[in-house]
Amino acid sequence: MYGGGNTFEGIKIDSIAQEDPAKLAEFESRIARGEKIEPTDWMPQLYRKQLIRMIEQHAHSEIIGALPEGTWITRAPGFKRKMALMAKVQDEVGHAQLLYSAAETLGKSREQMIDDLITGKSKYSNVFNYPTFTWADCCFISWLVDAGAIVNQLANAKGSYGPYCRALDRICAEESFHLKYGHHCVIYLASGTQKQRDMFQEALNRWWPPMMHFFGPSDKISTHTEVLMRWKVKMGTNDDMRNQFLDMYVPKIWELGFTIPDPNLKKNTETGRWDYTEPDWEEFKRVINGDGPCNKERLEVRRVAEERGKWVREALKAPKATYVTPLA
Amino acid sequence: MSELALKELLYKMADDQLILGHRNSEWTGMGPLLEEDIAFSSMAQDKIGQSLALYTILHQLGERDPDTVAFTRNASQFHNCQLVELPNAEYDFSLIRHFLYDTAEAIRFEALTRSSYEPLAQLAAKIRGELRYHTLHANTWIKQLGSATPESIERLQKSLAYALPFAVGIFEESPYEKEIIASGIFEGEQKIKEKWLAQIQKILAQTSMYLPDIKIIQPIVGGRMGKHSEHLQPLLDEMSEVFNIDPTAEW
Amino acid sequence: MNSLDPRVNRLPEIVETESHKVPLDQFGTFEVFVEPKEGKPFQHEGCVHAPNLEMAYVLAKEAFTRRFTCTSLYVVDTQDVYVSPMTEGDKNAYDSIPEVADDAGDKTSFEIYHLIKRGKQHVHAGSVSAANDLHAMAIAKTTLNTGKTVYNIWAIRNDKIRFTTPEEKDLWITLPEKKFRDASEYKGGVKLKNFLEKTN
Repeated sequence: MYGGGNTFEGIKIDSIAQEDPAKLAEFESRIARGEKIEPTDWMPQLYRKQLIRMIEQHAHSEIIGALPEGTWITRAPGFKRKMALMAKVQDEVGHAQLLYSAAETLGKSREQMIDDLITGKSKYSNVFNYPTFTWADCCFISWLVDAGAIVNQLANAKGSYGPYCRALDRICAEESFHLKYGHHCVIYLASGTQKQRDMFQEALNRWWPPMMHFFGPSDKISTHTEVLMRWKVKMGTNDDMRNQFLDMYVPKIWELGFTIPDPNLKKNTETGRWDYTEPDWEEFKRVINGDGPCNKERLEVRRVAEERGKWVREALKAPKATYVTPLA
Repeated sequence: MSELALKELLYKMADDQLILGHRNSEWTGMGPLLEEDIAFSSMAQDKIGQSLALYTILHQLGERDPDTVAFTRNASQFHNCQLVELPNAEYDFSLIRHFLYDTAEAIRFEALTRSSYEPLAQLAAKIRGELRYHTLHANTWIKQLGSATPESIERLQKSLAYALPFAVGIFEESPYEKEIIASGIFEGEQKIKEKWLAQIQKILAQTSMYLPDIKIIQPIVGGRMGKHSEHLQPLLDEMSEVFNIDPTAEW
Repeated sequence: MNSLDPRVNRLPEIVETESHKVPLDQFGTFEVFVEPKEGKPFQHEGCVHAPNLEMAYVLAKEAFTRRFTCTSLYVVDTQDVYVSPMTEGDKNAYDSIPEVADDAGDKTSFEIYHLIKRGKQHVHAGSVSAANDLHAMAIAKTTLNTGKTVYNIWAIRNDKIRFTTPEEKDLWITLPEKKFRDASEYKGGVKLKNFLEKTN
């Protein structure tokens, strides 16, 4: 789900210079003609490293992303919502499973990745560091955060790495239910009682800033990622993805009679792109580096889950467990 | 045959499944292994779905709609056994409860495939695959963990000792027990309890665990009569928290 | 913890201890193959982490067949999948498979899978009877190689596979009915339309 706003560290271009030029050229021409890279192919170290990082972050985002909506699993109103929310959050765990497996084909074990998540070494999508105070907050995530994720996922599904593409194909297929479910929930709140409408408006006011952060820092201040675009690791600029999201969903939010807490938000008829108040990127940096309302809790819950599960995994291990990287 | 006898049977089954499905859904996102998290959640969804099917039959028999029945009754109106309302504790307890309860449920529904009440017989036939999975899952896990490490064996054994008196409460007889058996709707709690004992013994014999002597266990009953532990009302309050913001609203 | 999630508030307090670093609890992987519809070929869907074959089957069933359609499933240890080299462009992976003299010895069944497009899943191409993995590939080269480019070949011994038994086929009978996870169940169109008419 939430493959967005990835933090790509400053790329050391000279690390590519150390690669075999003939192999590199062959690798790049394969990508250029649209052929996928599979696990046993030769690949530059930088490609391997950045892919692991990106897919891993995506996987972490799924498993952590299960928590804000999971907050409301036991309280979902009515059978229809109860069963749907259980299935949706289950899908997020399922997506984490698929994505860790895809990253594993590049040589890092799932257990190592989860360890890095818990110790804070690896990052995940910042949007999940915020609290879901009400049922309406949960619906906001189900609809709009998922919508944002789908924008990213559809783009990344056309990327160059085979295992990641296969995982994303499956994820995108499951996501269509999430998006429709989320929108359905919000339509009911919008067309319901005044209390329900107010609940969603308040949630929207709270979640809009993190949503604007979702696709990552503005292109103006982002680190250079041209080589990653050429290698089809990064499939679109942050601003492009953000603009696509706004184009698709702002009209749908306004259609329901809700106001978005940004007076400058409007479609610029000249440029054809959306104008908006520049998000606070200092806040984004602060939160992603640990200082958000829920960072501590999210990681703590994950750590406790792993701790509680230790005896189970110990009991499951075969006497002679040999670790083998998955095939595809 | 009085409709009350049939409704009593349907209510207790549906209530069991709703409450246990709800408890098991608490593990979603926090399970001990990603794949197991997914599997446990699927089974919880199956339970809720099955309870919905039963409440729907009740609705056709004149009871209120499923949402109203599930989200607005109080603890004393629920007829689930106390086993299913207990808090999750650690995974050993949840697995043991899953093993004890689902083994009984599979046997119950197998008997109901022969029910003279057509909607029940049809439902029982339809969900046999779901129940096959639940018992396959439970048996595989109990056999694996019940023979693995000193810690896993000890944990499961302790949970089994704790859960067993509550599990016997699954078979608390209905006030209409004779009637329901005579009508051919259901072969009765005694029969399935016997089959259940044989089945759990069979699985436990393949582990390093033992089954405590049933004859000296004090069964914990009352759930079928609306007498519950202190855990049910808080569970219901939580479950209906959003629904009760406005029970007339559509969510 | 003081959380908005009531489940989190019920979690036990587990103190982080500064003990020696515990080695990571690694599980091996098992490859998962699914028959999407009766009569359609099995295809590779992904892998699960599991301690053994039976547990892999139990876990794969929900990890990979809880959604969409499925009529059968099987799993095999990743280590028991015999893999050919990967090719690209218009080079057929079968070209690099050597001829193997027909063994008079005991033969067993192998499932053969083809990757016919990079980035897609391996699909079941057929079964062969052979003495070993390499022999199986050699036979597949003569019987299953249609000349169309195959980028990668897998050969899997049947006796390593945990298949679905005939009785177990009922595991998926209610799958098509579980519409609460289908987008089609969440058509907000009418409600939205009524709402817009009321407010405009």
